[in-house]
Amino acid sequence: MKSLVLTVVMLAGIAVLSMAMTIGFCVSTLNNPYFVSFTNGAKAEAQLLNVNLIVMNANNSNSTQLNQVEDLIQRKVDAIILNPTDSDALVPAVIAANKAGIPVITLDRSVNGGKVDMYIASDNVEYGKLEAQYAVKLLNGSGNVVLLTGVPGASATRDRSKGIMDYLSQYPNIKIVANQTAQFDMATAMSVMESILVAHPNINAVIAENDEMALGAIQAIKATGRTGIIVIGGDGIPQGIQAVKDGTEAVDIAQQPYKMAALGVSAAFFVVNGLSISPTSLSMPLFPVTKANVNQWIASGD
Amino acid sequence: MTEILKISGIDKSFSGVTVLKNINFSIQKGEVHAIVGENGAGKSTLMKIIAGELEPDGGKIYLNGTEVKFHSPIDAIHAGISLIHQEFSLVPQLTVYENIFLGRELSKKFFKIDFIDKKAMKKSALEVLKTFGILNIPVDSRVRDLSVADKQLTEIAKALSMNSRILIMDEPTAALTLRETELLFSILKNLKAQGVTIIFISHRLEEIFEIADVVTVLRNGELVGTKKIDEVTMEEVVSMMVGKSMKSRFPEKPIREISNEKMLEIKNLSSDAFKNVNFILRKGEILGIAGLVGCGNMQLGESIFGLRDFKGDVYLEGKHINISEPTDAIKKGIFLVPEDRHDLGLVLQRSVKENHALPNLDLFSEFGFVMQKKEKQSVRASISYLNTKVSSMNQKVDNLSGGNQQKVVLGKWLVRSPKILILDEPTRGIDIGAKYEIYKFMYDQALKGVSIIFISSELAEVLSLSDRILVMSEGRITRELDPKNTSQEDILKFAVKGKES
Amino acid sequence: MALSNGFIRKYGVIFGLLGIIIFFAIESPNYFFTTSNFILISKQSSINILLALGQMFVILTAGIDLSDGAIAGLVGAVAAGVTVATGNLFFGLVAGLGVGIGFGIVNGIIVAFAKVPAFIATLATMSAITGITLIYTQGEPIWNLPSSFDFIGQGNLLDIPFSIILMALSFVVVWIILERTKYGRHVYAVGGNIKASRAAGVKISSVLISVYAISGLLAAIAGIILASRLGTAEPSAGSGYELDAIAAVVLGGTSLFGGEGWVVGTIIGGYIIAVLNNGMTIMNISSYYQEVVKGLVILLAVMMTSFGKKYWNE
Repeated sequence: MKSLVLTVVMLAGIAVLSMAMTIGFCVSTLNNPYFVSFTNGAKAEAQLLNVNLIVMNANNSNSTQLNQVEDLIQRKVDAIILNPTDSDALVPAVIAANKAGIPVITLDRSVNGGKVDMYIASDNVEYGKLEAQYAVKLLNGSGNVVLLTGVPGASATRDRSKGIMDYLSQYPNIKIVANQTAQFDMATAMSVMESILVAHPNINAVIAENDEMALGAIQAIKATGRTGIIVIGGDGIPQGIQAVKDGTEAVDIAQQPYKMAALGVSAAFFVVNGLSISPTSLSMPLFPVTKANVNQWIASGD
Repeated sequence: MTEILKISGIDKSFSGVTVLKNINFSIQKGEVHAIVGENGAGKSTLMKIIAGELEPDGGKIYLNGTEVKFHSPIDAIHAGISLIHQEFSLVPQLTVYENIFLGRELSKKFFKIDFIDKKAMKKSALEVLKTFGILNIPVDSRVRDLSVADKQLTEIAKALSMNSRILIMDEPTAALTLRETELLFSILKNLKAQGVTIIFISHRLEEIFEIADVVTVLRNGELVGTKKIDEVTMEEVVSMMVGKSMKSRFPEKPIREISNEKMLEIKNLSSDAFKNVNFILRKGEILGIAGLVGCGNMQLGESIFGLRDFKGDVYLEGKHINISEPTDAIKKGIFLVPEDRHDLGLVLQRSVKENHALPNLDLFSEFGFVMQKKEKQSVRASISYLNTKVSSMNQKVDNLSGGNQQKVVLGKWLVRSPKILILDEPTRGIDIGAKYEIYKFMYDQALKGVSIIFISSELAEVLSLSDRILVMSEGRITRELDPKNTSQEDILKFAVKGKES
Repeated sequence: MALSNGFIRKYGVIFGLLGIIIFFAIESPNYFFTTSNFILISKQSSINILLALGQMFVILTAGIDLSDGAIAGLVGAVAAGVTVATGNLFFGLVAGLGVGIGFGIVNGIIVAFAKVPAFIATLATMSAITGITLIYTQGEPIWNLPSSFDFIGQGNLLDIPFSIILMALSFVVVWIILERTKYGRHVYAVGGNIKASRAAGVKISSVLISVYAISGLLAAIAGIILASRLGTAEPSAGSGYELDAIAAVVLGGTSLFGGEGWVVGTIIGGYIIAVLNNGMTIMNISSYYQEVVKGLVILLAVMMTSFGKKYWNE
């Protein structure tokens, strides 16, 4: 991975001499640290490549994002990097860009139609599976597990839940005692977890589908004074990594939003410069961060 | 004359409270039959039963000799009985003819599809209006642009076009000007001549004696009697209504000397509703301001109280004062009892106590906290002085009768020992018993030295109560009259003068 | 008959809450029906009830404050940010409360002087305030807060969670203001009939501005408790909270048309929502069904109130 980035940077250095280009960058939301880091990665890479990056935030609204893509097409940008708010709803946006001859790179979430030049994402089913794997490992194959799921109906929720459930179903001694949504939100997770703790005196582990919910669960466990509950989260946001370091979060399935977006910008840069890239889809690796490797992870700087 | 409607032994009660008890009377075809009674006598309930909006607990209704049972207003309309509502059931955005045919639109076929036939509807609406002598209604206008009177006539036309031959009208003149009332009456006479029967509810006895053929009096849900109008006097009807003989509708005017002391002096007051108004109000004087609806007297009263912007000078006890908000007037002891108590006088959802206290909280509170005891004492005193009928001081004002609501409005100002009371139509929509009490209250206050500006369009009461009368027309004072040698006709003459010139 | 219907209208919400509690107590006697769980429910409801108490002032004047959730979010961030930056909790709290009252006053001025309908005015400020929060936080949560900050939402005073004490105190103060002071009477009167209130000498604009300021203040307290409870000020905190607050107020019998309401009812409305959330989670009812049940309960309660009113008027 690092070598790839390095190569990209070198190539970029050469290309800087050629021309300045404008790339539209459509992010689904910015009120979440994951996407903030994601956008920062894109900005840093664009600066490095001397690319003019137009950042547009859709506030999780499909129609807003569709309008934003149309605006970018009107402005005749050289490429569009799309982090879609929804896989289906943004198909017309991609088709419109195709018609205008503008290359499209999608990040973090796929689009189910139109022609996409490059697709980079983490595998959310794998994400869930890794969380479940660690839970089984840390519990030695048996125990009571609480599942905190994301926004009902969202693709990340569906995929992560599928990964978790498929894996856990192979272990009959792992019992899911509560399965509740906490909307990917810390405050909701705290309240939900508090109530779950009332109902279940014997909980061994909590699997949360992101770090925010894991942190909420940790707050709830702390408030009720319970100990010995393993909390597993994901995304690798700074607060989550800190919790791993503090020992309150056992595992954080870290994604690399910063690198993912940086890679997206470089991919766009190549495509615009007429270089074809293959493969046209790339799965960003996931890094389970534990107390054992947390310092190493922090040192690597993502 | 033939009997068209017979009411036989009607009973009705709500939640165990008897509202109507064994009501029997009959109505002849083509007569104007007035129903009178104090508020709560059961008039509206009886009308709703006849119009199918309520079902009676017992008793029978005969229409042209056959028994009818109405389960909904639609049944009554099919039988030819329509209730003309006070709150009109018209769609403001539609035109007059569209409203007349609302729900029964005429249509014509075009390629097997029904299209609304506006032309035919308009024509047929005009025919109905012409047949019954309702002229001057612009059938093309949208209802929202019509005057109250024209809306009412549209409602009547709608009923007639549905072949209703018995019209029930509940206080039809309450919101009309004198001229509009006259127009309505001439149309009603026309309808009568065409064989339409009219059941007419009103608080204004003068009107009943002008238009009705027969009057039926209800009291506390019971029928007191049905009389031919030319066989009774107004006094007899009043005593039938209140249940005791009442010498007059007005209390005797106390003999008193009005000092020359100027309480209020108004100089060159002007606004968009009135022009160049000048007058003097003496201490303890009742100054009547009469005029037709829209002559500017209401706006004049509200301006002096600070509710409306105006130009000109106001002197209180010889000193120039500035009034730009009601707070200013209240501080100086000038209070308004507004024409529309629901709109300006009361907070209907709140209790008698809270309404009474609202302008007086500064007197009842210390450090911002309301002193409950002080407040309650004041409410109790005002309730007993005005003889206000409430179940408790915590009763919602909304659930009081009009007369008792008005007493709450009056009572709240008494706490602050008023210098000037501006009473704008203080007896509107109030039954006779309560009116009498309010007149007595006015004399009582005047005797205490309170000056009263008495704005009213009911000429009889202006004449009876006022010490002096100013007549307004089109925003100007056209005449000052001495009630001792003035008749209602004199007032009317000066009230319409501006309009005709 | 009439009396008992008026009775149901006012006190029905209490029976509603009792009914829900009894249902959960039967279904889950060991876990739900325990002292510790009731303390937990109180703690969980404290944020919503604080918002609802502020919202109630506004609704009593026939207005609505859609921005109180957004204010809570911004205040949490400002209080946390200033506390971290200055190392002084006092400065953080003052800054937070000041921001809450300040934006409340802005709402009030827009409604009272610019005469913008409350719904639109506070919808606009809600959006603006959410944006300001994102700008202030740059989308990143503020954490590593000093333990003194954590005390507000996590600490106990004499074994009672401090957030419950704050809620109870606010309730008592609000009750006294609305039921016992001149100002409270003015709030009810302005909501009931703005013209008649003016004609009775009430200063309309100061009443309107102050109710939004109070809503801002209570939202600020709620926001500080929220950030403290989580040990983190999240950039998206508070979003959507205004809806639960409005639901609590309406469940409690306050009329959206203004002029009528009952402080105790608002508290009970807040508890109904909290008990439903807690009880259904304890029973591990799927979140899909939870939303449906919550919606139906709110609808049922409001229908009961309006039915009672209709009956009363006839």
